[in-house]
Order: sequence, then C-alpha cells, then structure tokens
Amino acid sequence: MGDYRYTTVEEMPPLAFSLESTRNIPTGSWRHVRPVYVEKSSPCQIACPAGENIPAYFELVRQKKYREAWYKILEDNPLPGVTGRVCYHPCEGKCNRSPYDEPVAVHVIERFIADKNFREGKFPSVTASPKSAKVAVVGSGPAGLSCAYQLARKGYRTVIYEGEHDPGGMLRYGIPSYRLPKNVLAKEINDIASLGVQIRTDSRIGGNVPWSELEKYDAVFVAVGASQSSGLGIDGEKLTGVYSGVDLLHQLNTGGSPKIGSGVVVIGGGNTAIDAARSAVRLGKEVTVLYRRTRDEMPAVPDEVNEALREGVRFEFLVSPVKIKGRQRKVTEVDLIRMKLGEPDESGRRRPLPIEGSNFEITADTVVAAVGETPDLSFLPYSFLKKGARIFVDADYLTGVPGIFAGGDSATNPNGTVVNAIKAGKEAAASIDEFLGWRTKSNGAEHQLVKPEDINTFYFPHETRIKVPRLSVGPGTRSFAEVNKSITEERAFQEAERCFSCGSCLHCDVCMTFCPDVAISKDDQGEYIIDYDHCKGCGICVNECPREAMDLVEEDTQWA
Amino acid sequence: MGQIKFDLPGEEILSPGHFACPGCGATLTMRYVLKALGRKTIVVIPACCWSVIDGPVPYSAAGVPVFHTAFESAASTASGIKAGLEIQGDHETTVVAFAGDGGTFDIGLQALSGAAERNEDFIYVCYDNEAYMNTGIQRSSATPFWAWTTTTPTESPKAEKKKNIVEILAAHRIPYLATASVAYPDDMIAKIQRAKEIKGTRFIHVFSPCPPGWKFEPEDSIKISRMAVESRIFPLFEVFNGRDYKLTREPAGTPVRDYLKSQGRFRHLKESDIQQIQSNVDEEWERLKGKLTFQVESRGKSHLHGVVDPERNPPMRRAIRK
Amino acid sequence: MGMKGKNGTSAEAAGLLHPSTDKVVVIEGTHSASYAVKLARVQVVAAYPITPQTGVVEKLSDIVSAGDLDAKFIKVESEHSAMACCIGASMTGARAFTATSSQGLALMHELLHWAAGSRLPIVMVNVNRAMAPPWSIYVDHNDSLSQRDTGWLQFYAESNQEVMDTVLQAYKIAEMVSLPVMINLDAFVLSHTSEPVAIPKQQVVNEFLPPRSAPFKLDIHNPRAFGALIGPEAYMEMRYKLDAAMEDARAAIRDVDTEYGKLFGRSYGGLVEEYRTDEAEIVLVTSATAVSIARIAVDELRSLGFPVGLAKVRAFRPFPVDEIRMLGQRIGKIGVLDRNFSFGASGIIYQETKAALYNALVRPKLFGFVAGLGGRDITPETIKEIFSYMMNHDGPELEAVWVGLKTHKVNEAQNTFADSAEGQQK
Repeated sequence: MGDYRYTTVEEMPPLAFSLESTRNIPTGSWRHVRPVYVEKSSPCQIACPAGENIPAYFELVRQKKYREAWYKILEDNPLPGVTGRVCYHPCEGKCNRSPYDEPVAVHVIERFIADKNFREGKFPSVTASPKSAKVAVVGSGPAGLSCAYQLARKGYRTVIYEGEHDPGGMLRYGIPSYRLPKNVLAKEINDIASLGVQIRTDSRIGGNVPWSELEKYDAVFVAVGASQSSGLGIDGEKLTGVYSGVDLLHQLNTGGSPKIGSGVVVIGGGNTAIDAARSAVRLGKEVTVLYRRTRDEMPAVPDEVNEALREGVRFEFLVSPVKIKGRQRKVTEVDLIRMKLGEPDESGRRRPLPIEGSNFEITADTVVAAVGETPDLSFLPYSFLKKGARIFVDADYLTGVPGIFAGGDSATNPNGTVVNAIKAGKEAAASIDEFLGWRTKSNGAEHQLVKPEDINTFYFPHETRIKVPRLSVGPGTRSFAEVNKSITEERAFQEAERCFSCGSCLHCDVCMTFCPDVAISKDDQGEYIIDYDHCKGCGICVNECPREAMDLVEEDTQWA
Repeated sequence: MGQIKFDLPGEEILSPGHFACPGCGATLTMRYVLKALGRKTIVVIPACCWSVIDGPVPYSAAGVPVFHTAFESAASTASGIKAGLEIQGDHETTVVAFAGDGGTFDIGLQALSGAAERNEDFIYVCYDNEAYMNTGIQRSSATPFWAWTTTTPTESPKAEKKKNIVEILAAHRIPYLATASVAYPDDMIAKIQRAKEIKGTRFIHVFSPCPPGWKFEPEDSIKISRMAVESRIFPLFEVFNGRDYKLTREPAGTPVRDYLKSQGRFRHLKESDIQQIQSNVDEEWERLKGKLTFQVESRGKSHLHGVVDPERNPPMRRAIRK
Repeated sequence: MGMKGKNGTSAEAAGLLHPSTDKVVVIEGTHSASYAVKLARVQVVAAYPITPQTGVVEKLSDIVSAGDLDAKFIKVESEHSAMACCIGASMTGARAFTATSSQGLALMHELLHWAAGSRLPIVMVNVNRAMAPPWSIYVDHNDSLSQRDTGWLQFYAESNQEVMDTVLQAYKIAEMVSLPVMINLDAFVLSHTSEPVAIPKQQVVNEFLPPRSAPFKLDIHNPRAFGALIGPEAYMEMRYKLDAAMEDARAAIRDVDTEYGKLFGRSYGGLVEEYRTDEAEIVLVTSATAVSIARIAVDELRSLGFPVGLAKVRAFRPFPVDEIRMLGQRIGKIGVLDRNFSFGASGIIYQETKAALYNALVRPKLFGFVAGLGGRDITPETIKEIFSYMMNHDGPELEAVWVGLKTHKVNEAQNTFADSAEGQQK
C-alpha cells in the first residue's frame, strides 16, 4: 500500500478521499520483462540479394513520397527500372504475405517508383568527399555498373571499360526489349554516369585496350559476365540453323535479323531459353521449348514461363536432345530421348535419366541451344585462380591478385541473375573501399528475421495481389514493345498497402491503443515513448504489434 | 484498405500507476470508457477489481470523480448520484456504474433491475471477467459452462451455463444495451458514445479478459478477446429498447476449440466437452440471429475478413528475448 | 399524548402557538416527518414501503407530486437501494432523506456504515418496529438499537411534534458534523396516532436551516475518489475522526436545540430531558413514548409524596454520558426502562447507562427493566410497578427485570406496588 501522506490524525481529511493521481506510484517496478521497439528484418529484405530496404520504400509509396522511395532503393541498387522489370524477385518468394493470401508485388512497386522518377527525377548527387584513389571496372553489365556506382558514391574516381559499343552488358545484349526497353536501361546508365563515372565503350581489355592500362588504377573490379554459350555436346551442333541463346539475343538486341526458320526448337530451361523462345514468337515463329526435367525444376522465372505459355510457346518436358540432324548442312530434325527423374543431384534437383529405347525425333529448322553460359576469360594476362570456368574470389570478392576484385557471372558463385550481379558490385565496392584503406566494412549487424507467424494478421484484411496491365497476346507478340505496362498511383498505393512492413514500425498506434497501463505515448516527432515507470510488462503491445516491430526483453532484475 | 487501425477519440483520462494486474481487460475497459465519455463523468464502483485498481487512498487513477460503494449497490448509488446532480441543475454529467460480473449478474442484480425498471439515467458498464477475480477466482453466475474456478475445481467444473445478462436487461426494455470487447476498442467507444447520447438506463456488457483468473499470459488478453468474438462466444451487438437487435460485427465463426485451448481454466476439457460447448455456442448464436432486426453494420471489408487465425497466431506465445 | 401542561391549553403549553408557527394541524407521526422533510427542502428522497413507515412515503409522494417540494423521489426496489440512493445523492451535495422500519432498517445495515463512513449528513426516519420472527408490526427498539455501532446519530421522539422538530434539527446537526442522523418514532403509538402538530413557517425554517453546503462532494471540477482502499496505517485515524465528529455532535445537539427553542419556542433539553428530578431519590431513565406514560406515573406518584423523577434519553448516539453522570451524582437509585433487549446481556440503554456510570466518582444503584416489547402496552401502571420495585429493593438483583412478563414473579412485584400505593392512599 502506498505511503499515506499524513503523519497525524489532525492533518487528515474527514474521510478517505484521493488527493493525487496514481501516476505517482511507480508500478513499473512490478515488471520483469520490458517491451522495446526493435527494427527487424523483413524476409524480403533478407531475400533481396541487393539488400533493398523494401518495407521502407513501400511506406514511402504509401506516403506518396516517390522521390524518397526512389532514393531509398538507390542506396542499394542503381538500376530499379531494370530490376523492377527483369528481376526474378526472390523477395516475393519469401514474402510473409504468401501464406496469408498472395505475396506483395514488390517488383511492380519497384518499377512504379523507377517509372515515377523516369522523367523528372533528379538523381541524388554524391555527398561523400572526393578521394584520390582511382578504380577501374571491367565490364558494364549490372555488376560493373553497380560497383562503379557505389564507388562513385563513396567519392572514388571510377572508369568502366566496356568492349561493346554500348554499355549494359547482358542487360543490353541478353534481355529482349519487350522485357526491358532500351531507353530504360539507357536512362539508368546515364544516371550512374552523371555521378562522374566514366564509361569507355568500345574499349575491350585484352583487345584494343591492353591489360597494362589497368595498372594505373589503385584497384580493379573485373565483371565481364558470362556470355559464352555452353555447347550441347551432341552431334549436329555446327549445322546451319543452330544458334546459341546468347548469340540469338545479341543479334536481336543489336538490330540484327537472324535467319530463323518457321519451326524453332529451344533447348534449355533457363531464362535465356525463355527469352529466346518469346523472341522467336515475336518473329512469328512456332516455338517449342525442350527441357530435360519437369516444369518444377526449371531455373527460369515462373512468371516468364507463364508468359511464354500465354504467348503460345509449347513445352516438352523430360526430353533431351541426342542429335541434331540435317541435310545440306541445314537443320532438319532433332533426335530426342525421353527422360525420367532419379535421385537428387548436387544442385538439389532430381537428376534426369534417359529412358532407354524412348528415342523419337521432331522436325525443326532452327535449334536454339540455351543450356548455360560461361565467362570468356581469355583476356586475362596471367593466371588467376579459377574455379571451374570462373574466377575464384574470396568472400570479399578479392581474386588471388592483390587489388584485383571480381564479381558477377564471371566470378565464382554466381546464379546468373541481374540482382545477384548488383549485389556483387555493391559488396565488392565495399571491399574495395576497405582495401583502399577508407572504411572497415560493417560486419552486418545480426538481424532478427520476421517470420509469417510473427505477423498479427488480424490487422490485415485479405486483399488480392495487383494484376499488372500488359499487352494482350496479339499485339504484344507482334513486336518487341514492352509487354508489362506502368501502373497508376492508385493501384501502386493499393499494392503498397498490402505490405505488412514486417519488422518496421509504421506508427500505427496499436501498441498505444491496447496498453492497459497507459504507458505508451508519442513525442513531438511522433515517436513512441514507453513510460517504464509504469509499464508492467504485460506484453500486449508486443503481441498485438501487427508487424513484429517490438520485443519483450527480460529485465535485469536484481533480487534484493 | 491497408491495415486495420483504431482511431480512438478523446483525451487520455486514465492515469498509469493503477493497481491492475498486467494485461487487465477491466482496465482497458475503463480507459476506453473514459476516453469515450470525457471528464464530465462520475464513476461509481462497487466491490470489484476496480475497487483496488483505482488505487489506494490517497491515490486515484480514474481522473474523474469516483465513488466506491457497496458490492450490491452500483446501480442504486448511481441512481442517487444522478438524482442529486439533476436536482442541483447539472443535466450534463454522465454517471457511470462500473461493476464486475459479480456485482452485476449476482449480488447487484436486484439493484440493477430496480434501476433499469425505473429507467434511471446512467450508463452501467459491466466488465465481465467471468468470476469473482478480486477475491481469488470463485465462480459467479457469469462463469462459463465447464470452466475451472477455485470453487468449481476441475473435478467438478461449473456445470451451469453462463447467465444471459443481456436478455435480462433487454427484458427491462431499457433504451440501449450493447455488448463490447476490449479487442474492438473502436466498436466499444462508438457504443459508449452512442449510449452517452441516449437518456435512461444504458447497459454495456464488456468482455474483459483476466490473465491470472483465466490462466493465460497477459500478452494474450486481446487475442483471446478477439477469439471470443470471432468464435461467437461473445458476439458484438446492440439492442435498442430491449427489442431491436443489431449485430455490429459479423463474427468469423471460428471454432470455439482454439479459444478454449488458449486458457488454463479450460485445460481439463475433453473433446466431448469441447463439442458440447461448441453446440451450446451454436445454439445461442442461432437464437441471437433469430432476434436480429438489423443487418450487420457495414464497416468495410476489413472487419469481415481480418479475423484472427489461430493457426498463425497461436496464443500462449511468449517469446521473450534473453 | 404527553404535552399536558399545568396552565392554558395544551397546545399553548407545548409551544404550538408560537409566532414561528404557520399552522397547527392534527396529523399522524409519519406525516409529521413528511412535512418536516418538505420544510427542510430535501432534494432527494429514496424510500421503500414498510409498515408502519408507509405514511411517511405516501405523504411525501403527495407533496412532491403536488410540486410542493422540488425533489427527486426515487421509489426504489429495497431499503438497501434506498440508502444507496441517499448516499449517492448526498455525495453530490444534495440533501437526502429516507424512512424505514425494522426489517428494512436491518437490510440497510451495511449501507448505514457506508453513509457514516462517507460522512454524509443523511437524515432517516425509522419507525421503531419489532424484529421478526415471529412477525410483529408493533413497536420496540431492537431494530434501531441494533444499528448502534454504525456511526449514526440516533434520536428517539416522544411526540409527533418532536418528530417534526427533531427532523429539522437533525439536518442542521448532521450537516454541522458531517454524520447521518436517524430519528426514531414508535410504531403506531406515534406513527399512526394523530396529534396536534405546529408546522413552522418555511421562512423561519430557512433561516434556521440554510441550504446545504457540502465540504466535499463528487465534483467533476475537483475529481476525487471517495472511499477507496486504505491501509492499516490510516484506517484507524479515519475511525477516530468519525468518533471525534460524534463527540462534536454533543455540543451541536445542545446548541441546535437551544437555537431551535429560541426560533420556534420548543426545545427538548439537548440529549437528555430531566422531568421532576429535583429532590427526587429514584429516577427512571427511558426513551420515546414510554416517556409520556412515565410522566403520568411520575406526576401521580409525586402527588402521593413519592420522591420519583424521570430522565428522557432523547439522543442515544452520541450517548449522553455526562448527563447520566450528573444525574447519578444526585440520585441514589436509577432505573432504566428498555423497550429492547440485547440477548445474553440486558436492556441496551441500561447497559449504556451502567457503562456511563462505572467510572463516575459517585455511583447510584442501577436497576434494569424491560417492558413493552413487540408493541405490548407500557401503561402508567407499568411505570408504577417499576418504581415500586426500586423502592422495595436496596439494589438490583437482576440485570434485567422483565416487567409485565406473564410469570408468577412479576405478578408478585405488581402486588407489592399495589399494596404500597394502597397504603399511601390510606
């Protein structure tokens, strides 16, 4: 019981009544656990190789602060217009909304933000003070661009050497423009260049530019990508009418018109295969994709496969080419064998095994082989440590040669995606920064991952995922015009509203609403203050938080 | 529609430092009632948890005048207070009787019935924590069927169904009657504000979870309250003039099992007991539906869809970071 | 009943024809209370009917319905709620009233504590009626005396006029000391018996009894919680304060009675009225309508030369300890006639009188008598029996002599008195 404030009966009022608020009773001393606000990591953020702070830019979209949202993405990725279109969005695969209804369409919002800033958006200028060190980047694909951009932001003088006539690497030459219009790519490359990054095109290291040129630099980042098609390793590969997927796409992306017959067979299950198949559709061809496993094992982005199906591409699963037959050095048929799935291999996927005696053949005049790409490292002047066909790098992207870093598809552990290349560029830039003596990389603070069961779904009414407007099959497949269209602000807002904002406080006031101890309030800035003099640690705020942005931590109680 | 948010109106009148147990539903109820009614309010508290919660002399948490009265006298004392104010020319101050289920369903029922019959002009808020909690969890007539209390031990849990206080009050044909839950504060506040505008006896029956009495972790108070509503154990509705029933939230109709499993007081239930309770709840729900004169008030999809999913939000979760 | 003076009309002698009097009416005791409530400008009435109190609420209903009193009349569903309503109303600063009797009073018991503990100047009229079972609707005082320790002031009225005057005095005293007051009148003997009663002029009453000004109340501008939990470190002081108020009430009762006398021409001796105690050797202490009967017996015995007198306990709470001790210093034999009984002990006023005298320097012989329970008549003969008993005994032999009890022993006492009276006449 509280101390009675009177000492003598004479001082007391005639009857028992209150004279002050219970505010003067520090009931916080009852507490053995305390609630705290904690920023946790959303699974999308963790899943995003580039590490984009997705909940943060979603909130900015909800606030209609599109410039700020763009800047938020640009911290991690200079190419949101690109990734918003072509990224395989692993973020969505991990979205905590998936088990509840449908994942949030992160890539759609990312693209929306880029589109929103396409014309008038002012690219953020460099705020870091200029540094004297110079860095060369070999290759202007996503890894090279990302690395150069991050270095420029850190104040380094950065030069990109690109062997092709235009920058962009696989973004330009590997991705068809119905997925990634060239003007979008050009705009984002110009943005990067606006930071002072020099992009020297038609400057092939080991070709018209000697390797020694790089010795002028304090550090080098090699990011030449993987543009060499792996062969099928079967008879008939040299026949006319057999293309590699990469070559076919390169020709199409440079305005060429490859000679393609009317019956096109694409071999492979990756994105290159699908891009080649859909491009062939746009050239008015009948296309069949052959894949040796089933649809479930296809490495291609499922959305792309769906699009291909929609556009009339036929798929044959569990088949493998045995031989390409031809007459007069021109392709006429492909010999195939049926496959079955065996035990899982080292990739975790079930190994395809031929079924003896199941051979059959199909008629084709064009065969596109898209079964994987490897880097062309012939330009390297001395022996780099390699692993397989790729340059070996350590966790800091350092090759065996001091000062020379590598990343993206030309180095080890790639997965052949744009966003992983962006990640490599970003992380390599941090390593280079450290190598040049400027900053020790942060060890990446231990993050708490928000899981689906942490979300208080009561607060989130079911809402269907946005349907992206796109060209219908007829007009859409007669040209290389972009299939997926921009979305309106309203639709973007609706989709942004679906985001749980896992682990990020949105100041929704649920904690404050349900506090029986009236111990949560807001300061002038709108930030929550927990009154620990009175919080009894019931935990309702933590449990009710819709998005797991709070924790209960044990009090360091000293028992007297 | 994004996240469901509660835009609670009104000043924060309740003070911290009160003597409620952590996670107390009755205290949230008081907080919302005061927010809804404002400072021109006088509260009468009979013997109940709130006799303690408001604070010992010389403290008070309520921030408005409080009169502590005898256990059975909430309604009668409130009648007298209202009469005293009226005769002295104060026609504005809202008088609230704020009582637990014991003081309402049991010992205070006579005074309540008398006042309701006279249509005394006050709001009676019963925060129902379904047993005599202040005295240490003894059964009341509000204790649900087959629940454990210290006087209905698990060997012989309460064999009688919960008294239907709402029907009793409805039979008095009082102008306004509503059920409310701490898990739906916007709904509760709207009802109290509606009550405030009506003259005569107004009765708000609030589902008020009690962590120590029901044996669950305090952090689950809201979740459990929500489950009670969504499983139709405690539907949210209004009754006008004792006749016109109006549902204010269409419950999702989740199984009662999840609700029962969330609390230690039901730990002893066998599958057949759960089935029995489910069928009791279904029967009461059908009866209530038969009385509805209005369709559910539309408050947007959210209130129909954003239901608790016990699979994903298991109660009893107490992840404390060391 | 009573009021018989030696000179002029009885009304004149009883002070009925005073300039302050608006009119003299012949009314029942219950109605006398009702009119007093009207004059006191009571603001909230809450009551539940019980025989023989019904006259109070019926008349008040008429008064309020007619608009003669601007009050809220809450017709509650029980005496318990009646008192709760009064408590609530009084807490807001309003002047509150209720009336009850017997079982109803017993039902109120809990809230009598609440009213006193809340220091509320509620005034209640209790028509004294015997407690059941067996059912009885007739007078005795066990109902009100059972409420002795609740912290209420208690008055016992001898006449319908005294009911009127005491109700008016009660509000003034109650509001001075912040304690509730119970005015008791005997069932039927007063409640249903019509007597002339002077109704004072409203204006004079207003002068005597200004509107209530509550020192503390439920006030939204000064929000406080009343009656919350209190620890052992302060509960005792609260009780001490309550008793201190009860002590203050002694002076208040005397002062208010004196002031009342000046304004209205009638006063009642404060806590105790002595009657013919000058040169008395034996004095009977009693209360309520038994006093009127005793006056007749005392007059009669005095005329026969017996040195007897009478002391009327008007205020039972606070108990008139000083008055009793003063009496004890002068009188050798004192008898107490109780219309009540505390089982396992004795008559309650007897106990209290005895307790008051124990620490006195001079202690008289003290006799305890019980009579008139459950409405049995107390007649002048009863009183003479009692005096006779005391004359024939040097000191008390029993804690309680049940007078009029149908036993051989009591008949014997009656005979003794009869002989004595007869001898005197000879």
